[in-house]
Amino acid sequence: MSNTTTLPAVKIDRRQFLATTGGFLLAFTLEGGNKAANAAGAAPTVNAWVKISTDESITILIGGSELGQGAYSGLAQVAAEELMVDWAQVRAEPAPAAQSWVTGGSSNIRAHAQPLRVASAAAREMLIAAGAATWNVPPSTCIARQGKVINTITNDSLTFGSLATLAASMPVPANPPLVPASEYRLVGTPVKRTDIPAKTNGSAIYGIDVTVPGMLFAAVKHCPSVGGTVKSVRTATGSRAVVNLGNAIAAVSTTTEAARSAVSNVPVIWNIPSSAAGVDTALYITQAKQMMVNGPALVAEQQGDVTTAFQTAAKTLEMTYTLPYLAHACMEVLCCTVSVSPTGCDVWAPTQAPGWVLGTVMALTNMPASSINVHPTLMGGGLGRKIEQDYIAQAVKVAMAAGKPVKLTWSREEDMANDQYRPFALARVRVALDAQGNIKGWANRIVSPSILFQRGWIPGNVVDTQSTEGGTGLAYNFGSRLTEYVRHPGTVPVGFWRSVGHSINAFVVESAIDEVALATNTDPLMLRQRLLANDPRSLNVLNEAAKLGGWGTSLPAGHARGIAFAASFNSIVAEVAEVSHPAAGTIRVHKVAVAIDCGSAINPDSVEAQMQGGIFHGLSAALWGEVKFTNGVASARNFSNYRVLLMREAPVVSVKIIQSGAPIGGVGEPGVPPIAPAVANAYAKLTRTRVRTLPFFPGSGMSDG
Amino acid sequence: MISLNVNGKNYSVNVDPGTKMLWVLRDILQLTGTKYGCGIEICGACTILLDGEAQKSCDMDVSEGVGRKITTIEGLSPTGTHPLQKAWIEEQVPQCGYCQSGMIMKAAALLQQNPNPSDSDIDGEIDNICVCGTYQRIRAAIHLAAKG
Repeated sequence: MSNTTTLPAVKIDRRQFLATTGGFLLAFTLEGGNKAANAAGAAPTVNAWVKISTDESITILIGGSELGQGAYSGLAQVAAEELMVDWAQVRAEPAPAAQSWVTGGSSNIRAHAQPLRVASAAAREMLIAAGAATWNVPPSTCIARQGKVINTITNDSLTFGSLATLAASMPVPANPPLVPASEYRLVGTPVKRTDIPAKTNGSAIYGIDVTVPGMLFAAVKHCPSVGGTVKSVRTATGSRAVVNLGNAIAAVSTTTEAARSAVSNVPVIWNIPSSAAGVDTALYITQAKQMMVNGPALVAEQQGDVTTAFQTAAKTLEMTYTLPYLAHACMEVLCCTVSVSPTGCDVWAPTQAPGWVLGTVMALTNMPASSINVHPTLMGGGLGRKIEQDYIAQAVKVAMAAGKPVKLTWSREEDMANDQYRPFALARVRVALDAQGNIKGWANRIVSPSILFQRGWIPGNVVDTQSTEGGTGLAYNFGSRLTEYVRHPGTVPVGFWRSVGHSINAFVVESAIDEVALATNTDPLMLRQRLLANDPRSLNVLNEAAKLGGWGTSLPAGHARGIAFAASFNSIVAEVAEVSHPAAGTIRVHKVAVAIDCGSAINPDSVEAQMQGGIFHGLSAALWGEVKFTNGVASARNFSNYRVLLMREAPVVSVKIIQSGAPIGGVGEPGVPPIAPAVANAYAKLTRTRVRTLPFFPGSGMSDG
Repeated sequence: MISLNVNGKNYSVNVDPGTKMLWVLRDILQLTGTKYGCGIEICGACTILLDGEAQKSCDMDVSEGVGRKITTIEGLSPTGTHPLQKAWIEEQVPQCGYCQSGMIMKAAALLQQNPNPSDSDIDGEIDNICVCGTYQRIRAAIHLAAKG
């Protein structure tokens, strides 16, 4: 048996014996594995764990996080396939934090399915070898089926659990045969996700639901201004403890509500720096406009002779787009539970980065990693916000000060006003056209704060690829291209928001392409088809979306379609949005047709869900999402002034999954980038008004229903 | 002391009458299936049934629950097999799942009043927020549950 796709080599790193439960555990490391993902530093990154226990349980330990994207279930599908067991037989649990990876970049499955596949196949081969040794027959006469090893000559069988101890002593095969795709029973099928039943009856435990015996509750209040700190604070009535957290205070009490009441009554004087007056989005935009002209610009990508293309152009176009800061607004606010004693620390957190949590706790407690247990919980959405460590560090400090286990929960208001926001951006696209209207040169300059520079992860003279992704490496044939980056010095904390730079740059690029189509009197689909003529995979995705969306077919009066295309996280996506404009200040998005080529889909039902979710998330942001700052104070407070899509506003999304056989791509994020431009392009077609500044409808809110 | 009947069980809780029902359920009775989302009665993650009617619990004084029949997601069906729960699994509705307790409770109240709702009935009634964007499947699951 062999797998037809070329995939990274997997090296078996080590195996461990399970002294407590009996059985064996295989730990696999991807060759040249991503050491950067392991913040704790001490232990090697392990890409896949498979545990076969004597009690017949099969467990895979996953270093990534389950945010609702179905990664745990998808990876369990892969393991069950190779282990030749029923779908219900494999459980997925978080791996130890020291060997975890950061869940970001839609990477859980695309980076980790293959190591897990090899690990599972190796475990299966070791179980077969153990069975063969027991019967004293060649392993080639034995097969694994439904949790048993079967002797095909005698039809005798032994369960995995009964063979687990012996299997652990068998040689670990370096190159175990993999189930060929043509024989898949589970991979590629829409199996029911294992995490869903608990999410329908209240039994699923999210970070906010963690309960520890003797636990107290904490609430937090941050300095309202970016950069502000606590000048002085006194204890308050009704509170067991008040903790100075530097830029915030926390109060501890017997319920979350009592803690909130206490924290709001704590007499605190803030030290607001004079620089806070400069933390102002209107000022930032003015600065960004000057920087657009004056730079300094760093070259992110350059191909061909752009200068000549513009010098010899028959016509040039220039468009500038503006995108706002965005909040994550996860349904589950930030929260963390900590129990600390002189000898150890337990942390329960909804986190996309358990390894970083370990590092945070080690630094604050001065305890070794071996004394710290990180328990990643289910997450009520992560969206990139739960990579961060601010709420973790706060909970550790509060638990240490309180001397008791503490669950710290942010209010919605604190969550929205103290986010690490999707950066704002200004982008100017210049396009050089020849006399026939063909694009000969493309120049895009992006001015935006740098996530990586702000954290000290890159020096100031380096392009932040998080800011330019989706603006570079485009599949389009522009003849020549130049993409530049100017780092805006804004001090508003910025972070990773679902699809990161792609959420900005797809809007810029795909709006600009549409503007070229309009200026050259070309059908927007046809223009993209021409630009993708040499990229059959991209062209196919574009055409499938157009077909699914009925591009070119008749529409109800007052409706129009827009199309957009964007590749991200190794997947290629195109979307067609059908919109109407029932009244000023409104858009109704009726339908969205999306085609995605993610190489192959482990669970097509999860891919469909992620496309729907990404589109709805991106649509909320496009229509209404915006956080402004005045004197360093964020405008967003709650859903009352940070509107998101409701069911009655949600389009019907139809999904075409293209399984091209290319290496597997991400699905959690790639649905997001094309929706804003697809809607803007439809809106421009319908109203002849080009929206170059997002959101469409700033200042929108929601009220209680 | 405040006396409450939650999911058919009687409780006495020693809280101020103005304490919000949500936090009594979550922090004192440890019925954590009911979720905090916004605290201002917009998102609906905290939806419970009060004498069979949907009620957001985040801004509701616990005293308002006295003498009423309170149902949380944990009590919707003792075995987790309410038609809506089965439909939620069949349609694979939840992604992160955080809002789904409130969604199911809201849908349960809808089906009690309107056993066979149209799309627009559903859209009109279900105004809870789902940031994952599971709306399309929620609608399908309500229709499936309505069919029985």
